[in-house]
Amino acid sequence: MSMGIPEIENAKLLFIFGYNGADSHPIVARRIIKAKQKGAKLIVVDPRITESARIADMHLQLKGGSNMALVQAIGNVIINEGLADQKFIEDHTNGYEEYKEFVKKYTPEYAEPICHVPAEQIREAARAYAKAETSMILYGMGVCQFAQAVDVVKGLASLALLTGNFGGPNMGIGPVRGQNNVQGACDMGALPNCYSGYQSVTDDAVREKFEKAWGVKLSNKVGIPLTHVPHRVLEEKDEKKKIHAYYIFGEDPAQSDPDLNEIRETLDKLDFVIMQDIFMNKTGLHADVILPSTAWGEHDGIYSACDRGFARIRKAIEPKGDVKTDWEIISLISTAMGYPMHYNNTQEIWDEMRSLTPSFHGATYEKLEALGSIQWPCRDESMEDKGTPYLFTGGKFSHPDGRGKFFATEWRPPCEVESPEYPYSLSTVREVGHYSVRTMTGNCRALANLEDEPGWIQMSPEDCDKLNVKEGELIRVFSRRGSLMTRVLPTERVKPGATYMTYQWWVGACNELTTPYLDPVSNTPESKYCAINLEKINDQAWAEQCIKDSYESIRKNMGIDTAKKEV
Amino acid sequence: MNYFVKGNPDLCIGCRTCMIGCVVAHEGAKIFQMKPGEYVFNPKLDIVKTATITIPVQCKHCENPACMNACPVGAIEVIDNAVVVSQNKCIGCKTCMIACPYGAIDMVVSSDGSKQLDGNSRMVANKCDLCTGIEGGPACVRVCPTASLKLVTEEAVETSVSNKRMAAAISLTQVKE
Repeated sequence: MSMGIPEIENAKLLFIFGYNGADSHPIVARRIIKAKQKGAKLIVVDPRITESARIADMHLQLKGGSNMALVQAIGNVIINEGLADQKFIEDHTNGYEEYKEFVKKYTPEYAEPICHVPAEQIREAARAYAKAETSMILYGMGVCQFAQAVDVVKGLASLALLTGNFGGPNMGIGPVRGQNNVQGACDMGALPNCYSGYQSVTDDAVREKFEKAWGVKLSNKVGIPLTHVPHRVLEEKDEKKKIHAYYIFGEDPAQSDPDLNEIRETLDKLDFVIMQDIFMNKTGLHADVILPSTAWGEHDGIYSACDRGFARIRKAIEPKGDVKTDWEIISLISTAMGYPMHYNNTQEIWDEMRSLTPSFHGATYEKLEALGSIQWPCRDESMEDKGTPYLFTGGKFSHPDGRGKFFATEWRPPCEVESPEYPYSLSTVREVGHYSVRTMTGNCRALANLEDEPGWIQMSPEDCDKLNVKEGELIRVFSRRGSLMTRVLPTERVKPGATYMTYQWWVGACNELTTPYLDPVSNTPESKYCAINLEKINDQAWAEQCIKDSYESIRKNMGIDTAKKEV
Repeated sequence: MNYFVKGNPDLCIGCRTCMIGCVVAHEGAKIFQMKPGEYVFNPKLDIVKTATITIPVQCKHCENPACMNACPVGAIEVIDNAVVVSQNKCIGCKTCMIACPYGAIDMVVSSDGSKQLDGNSRMVANKCDLCTGIEGGPACVRVCPTASLKLVTEEAVETSVSNKRMAAAISLTQVKE
């Protein structure tokens, strides 16, 4: 995020694009409500009536997969109506003329049939965004989980450049990141192309610095993105390039990744799979070795919030049973593999990381203790450097010339769209209460009491009438890749033709249906769009029994409860 | 006057923390200690979502409660400004459930684990009791992350009415005949 989360409350206008705070991050949703109470205007772009859309001043209920067309139509209106911040553009940006030329074609009338949003509404949204004293963009997986994702992120950033909404407080652009500490994973270099602090693995000076510190030779090649693993296992002919072993921790690809059939085939084809997690999960069913690790309340460390803020996490209880912290397990494995690794505590690891990462160097444990949270960059260890609440102060950007770069490109439709055989679209979404792949929340009884297997499919009342199905009834959902049963949830909050499922359920696992198409830059899968069909099940009693049996069999395979009963 | 909990749909995000708070307040820590399936989970309020509204619905604690008037065994009474079901007196006849114009009453398995004469679990009426006897007042109000729920007391109503009358009086002076 270019801004800090607390700044959300003080923006004059919030432009919320493909982000459903109430279900993904209730605590951020609370900030959105506070902003509204303080008089901020709210514009929400979402194919569903989310909680934010419900209280918004304007809701652009676009058709899923049309983001790029809408973003550029807004840019088009801002330029055509003379609302662009010419001074900011001249002083701080590059590529404006090309951008202007490119979006000429993207008039609201051009976008209307693509986005299913009235041209006049696009104009009104563009005017409001451009005219507000400070406008802040918040976006979520509704932008990132499309095959055209990075383009849309750059397109949204271009709107902020166009209107001078960078470089000051309460403005900018914020990806409100999906998972707990996903920001931290990226910050720490758990990516195939960088070390901690986004230092490139292809930069010789950086590599030599790490080689010297660690006393080993390091590769200068970018690694393999997570989502390329199935291909490298199943289709790679060159034995040297093929992946043979897979060490997975804090992740459940057999639940969270698209096209689960392919994932299971991949996991079974691998010579060796290690799974490291706090509870048994779907991936564990395919693992050769399971390493039990500690949960969030059982270990210390540093956490990064999505607004670049580091904060300490502290052990609340002593771990029970035969478990170790992730860092202890990694140290032991590394030592066993011939590279002795030993730390006494997380502070030693953090200090080593800081010594090798200029942009995090100033974020010491002592300072975190004193300040509570520090947003990077924080370069200096002295108390004067309290971190950076918002980026690009005074319009100075990260490109070598310090200028922001405009971006425009053609809108591309999703990779798999509706057809006569598969006439509905499916998007995977979140529900409040159950988090990510339910490894944690599925084991929390009060949350399981509110919602449990097999989950729901959100459908418009019109589609429910057409299929003659009622709330709570089990329905068969199938795509080109798989099929499952789930419960019908009629809701006026979705448009006819579009359906939505949450992705954590073991029985009604919607990733059986999703497509493995990726964004070419981020390699994030298009979880927000695939084509499906729906079929009424006449024998509901049989279907209910199938769900029960299927859940029981998964639990049995995972060894849940059965161990106790057999004693 | 009976008190009641009022929700503000402009603030509610539908997170259902109130529902869990309600169960924990009434059942206590035992729901975290018993085996799943051996305890009951009966929130006394329910989140309702339409295209434009999200808000929990719960008992209004009417001054002249249809449920209380309809109960044939006197199991519903007013205690400490709240309309409360005595589950030990309830015979599970469902009359109150039908009589309630707000849909605020449902029938659930009794949480005390008691059995009927036929050996089945006892079914009893379940509704908001404003956390009568629970320290700190209604749990739903306490746990709501957006402060969308408020306990409306007699004093709160009086203040609100008096403020509105004041505003009305001031606005009258601005009307020129």
